[in-house]
Amino acid sequence: MLLQIIVNGILKGGLYALMALGMSLIWGVMDIINIAHGAFIMLGAYCTYWLFNLWGVDPFISLFLSIIFMFIIGYGIQRYLINLVIRATIFITLILAFGIEIFINNLALVMWTADVRKVQVPYGASNFSIGCVTIPYVRLGAFFIALVIALVFYFVLNKTRTGRSIRATAQDLDAARLVGVDVAKTYALTFGMGVGAAGAAGTLWAVLFPINPMMGGILTLKSFVVVIIGGLGTMFGPIIGGLTLGVAEALGSNWFGTTYENFISFTILVLVLIFLPKGILGKSE
Amino acid sequence: MAQRGATTKKLILGILIIAGIAIPFFSGNFIIRFFTNTLMFAVLASAWNIIGGYTGYASFGNVVFLGIGAYVSAVLMEKGGVPFWLAFPASGFGAAIFAVLIGLPVLRLKGHYFAIATLGVAEAMKALVDNLEITEGNSGIYLPMMNLSVKAQYIFFYFMMMGVLTLTLVVTYIMLKKKLGYGLIAIREDEEAANSLGVNATLFKVTSFALSGFFSGLAGSLYAFQQGFIKPESVFDVGVTVKMIVMAVFGGIGSLLGPLLGALSIEVISEILTNYFLVAHTLFFGAIVILAIVFTPKGIMDIISGRKKFGINYLLQNIRDHRV
Repeated sequence: MLLQIIVNGILKGGLYALMALGMSLIWGVMDIINIAHGAFIMLGAYCTYWLFNLWGVDPFISLFLSIIFMFIIGYGIQRYLINLVIRATIFITLILAFGIEIFINNLALVMWTADVRKVQVPYGASNFSIGCVTIPYVRLGAFFIALVIALVFYFVLNKTRTGRSIRATAQDLDAARLVGVDVAKTYALTFGMGVGAAGAAGTLWAVLFPINPMMGGILTLKSFVVVIIGGLGTMFGPIIGGLTLGVAEALGSNWFGTTYENFISFTILVLVLIFLPKGILGKSE
Repeated sequence: MAQRGATTKKLILGILIIAGIAIPFFSGNFIIRFFTNTLMFAVLASAWNIIGGYTGYASFGNVVFLGIGAYVSAVLMEKGGVPFWLAFPASGFGAAIFAVLIGLPVLRLKGHYFAIATLGVAEAMKALVDNLEITEGNSGIYLPMMNLSVKAQYIFFYFMMMGVLTLTLVVTYIMLKKKLGYGLIAIREDEEAANSLGVNATLFKVTSFALSGFFSGLAGSLYAFQQGFIKPESVFDVGVTVKMIVMAVFGGIGSLLGPLLGALSIEVISEILTNYFLVAHTLFFGAIVILAIVFTPKGIMDIISGRKKFGINYLLQNIRDHRV
């Protein structure tokens, strides 16, 4: 029983890790807390929903379309909007992100109504058992996709020229510009990657849980918790953070009841901030 | 030029005071209610301005004080039979004490980390109140009814809220003339330098957070009593925090009257939008927030203080200053 709860927690933790991956990248490179992150996850989820319902595209294929679509949206928003205020104080980017969130959420609400929708894949309920632990295929698939995307991120950031310019910009904006990095473009690429990852998380979320236009708020908050627990500045932070939160929530809900789930996440958040401000894996400055 | 700015400010203040006193006697319940709500946001934005604007700590959880104020009043009055006149100050002090307890650890964090921590505190409190028995959990709690005619109630709450706003602004004004105000601004500009010059940063920051909490708590008490029924989702709503910050920024962070002007203009704009676009008004609100942040990040006060000429150039200069 306990083992099953922990396995459930780990599987959900993989999804949390993917949600936080994009937020962590954007935060680490540009010092923007992307409050609209949950709204982008929601858009990714709806992208998958419509592809599935209108043309019957399988979510695990529309995943790629969702990533590309969200990358383009993210790139555009950073290039033509956030870049305009990026050097102002932190309130400004925070509130701009809030404005974007309000805009996207309500656009979705006007276009698609507040109805709760579900992507009902035929294999949604099938599972397999190892000993006394039951594992649904969909959750396992989502977990592995989250890990694969994290690996792709790691590869892009550490082994490619683009990744080098992103890391350079994160370290020192002026120095990066001096050696010929197109900062505006690099920022847009970074935001696009982060939002693309949010789109992937949205797709997987839509397969596992019901979706609606206002689902983003709590997901943004959970992504914060994961980023903070794991620590900024490393690609593995979100994974450790995601798994920790997933397991802590699963155990906590089991011991205190599911209504305490949010209380547990946010208490962990505040405690980690106070006692481990750099997170479990965070690099000290 | 500075002279003109000062005159404009006095003129605006005068008009606001006269209009503020006259409004309830010449308008219907709907208008009074609308302005009571606006005054509440003016209190919240001005209280946020103390910690966010003057001290430079971007609290993203200030709604927690509104919620605590509201629930202290609700629980005292409903469960303890305490009269409003005692529950009202108790709400303010309750929120202030909470601010001290939370502020001691959380105010050690800086920048984004402080913002996220306060957001986390507010969400954790919402989840806690949602589950506690004494607050009647997520089904919400009723408050005793008031023994006054409807019109008299509307006027009562209007002037009470205005009283809280006046108190907030007067205390902030006095604070700015004292060591506390200078200390807070020093902390905002450079905390380490302030510390080395003998400013007790921890004490000052916690005091500032407690003041912010106190006024928000008073507003929460009035809000709860007027509503007659409160739920955790409504009084701990992150959206309220966002709204008060947007108002403070829109009006002008770190200026005494900025948040008040911000609250007034944002509320009027949203009311007009709601009238014209029943479904999509929040969509337009989002668009306005985005445009205001991009073009006028320094707020209305920066424009009316008359230091710079307002025009297309002013708007574009703001972008030139901050883009990459």
